[in-house]
Amino acid sequence: MKGTIKDLLQIPGVQGYVIAQGKNIQIKLPAKHAFALAKDSLMLLYNGLADDGKRPGNTVEILLEDILLTAFLSGSTMFMVVSSLRVNQALLRMTGKLIISNMVKE
Amino acid sequence: MKQEISGDLANTRCPEIIKIISLGKRTGRLYLTNGAETGNIFFSEGEVIHAQCAALTGIKAIHEIAVWTSGEYRFFVDEPADMQTIIMGIDEVLSETTSHLRQMDKITSLIPSSAAVYALEPDIREKEIQVKSIQWKVISTIDGKNSIADIAQTIGLGVSDTMKIIYTLLRMGLLRDAAQHETHVERRSIRLPETEFVQSLKNALIQAVGPIAPFMLVDTAEELATDLLTDSTDQKAYLIETLSSKIPNEKMSLKFLDAMTDWLKAEV
Repeated sequence: MKGTIKDLLQIPGVQGYVIAQGKNIQIKLPAKHAFALAKDSLMLLYNGLADDGKRPGNTVEILLEDILLTAFLSGSTMFMVVSSLRVNQALLRMTGKLIISNMVKE
Repeated sequence: MKQEISGDLANTRCPEIIKIISLGKRTGRLYLTNGAETGNIFFSEGEVIHAQCAALTGIKAIHEIAVWTSGEYRFFVDEPADMQTIIMGIDEVLSETTSHLRQMDKITSLIPSSAAVYALEPDIREKEIQVKSIQWKVISTIDGKNSIADIAQTIGLGVSDTMKIIYTLLRMGLLRDAAQHETHVERRSIRLPETEFVQSLKNALIQAVGPIAPFMLVDTAEELATDLLTDSTDQKAYLIETLSSKIPNEKMSLKFLDAMTDWLKAEV
């Protein structure tokens, strides 16, 4: 599989990403980004979405004014892409699905 | 009117949206549409208090909306409901809806969509059959031309409920697929455009699903109203994504995505 974070970051409009697993969260965003320091809120969001027993899909999109959060979930792992609204959303989702699939395999 | 959450139902289905709004203890109106129909679900401090979809209200309306897998949703903050049709707690609403979706998954394994058309089966296996009055009402509208959505509208039932009845009638051997024979004949002569994109797409899809790939490609392009000769990268990406979601084997679906993502990246 060639879907890598490097590929994702090359998609125009992608600002960064968040990886959450269990109690750990890793935020990779520019320092001045609105979400760069929002660790607690992102952890809350992860806890809300990670309950996969009740969720029919494994991709969740959340639109927040001028930011699009696209969360890919697999088991207890969440890979969330932070982007602008002008991103090619289908390409973002395709790459994200490949990345989460690689992450879970590792 | 402040709009706070919005998105595509292809990626987030109704129960998940309800859960997100409920977690945030929000008050307002969730508007959903699948293109043909619209529905509204009203929240008060995270609890669902009212829902409406066509002539249906209450939990039936939520069930109707919950099966939509395409379309969009928008949440309007602080738009209150003018009535209360749901008095159960959010957990009960979600659990009932999930159980309804499971039932619908079983039904959609036999009935592909509400656009399906059925005709009466002339050769009935049983000597004697018994049907309920509501089943008879559905049978009386079946003519090999009306789709399930048309029938639901004619008899004033929800699409989900109509699908359930048709599922039972199919299991009883009273109906048959009206389009099966015609589709078979029509599909023999499919010719795909010989562009680099279409050929790459077809080859990657053949590896994933075998010889039905060209039919799947044409059907999906038609569903999305996408011209296979399009120059738009957005439309190509959407077509690839939708096709990948139709590949039943997850590994093959990812392999297909992988091959086509490379192709797209060269264009972006």
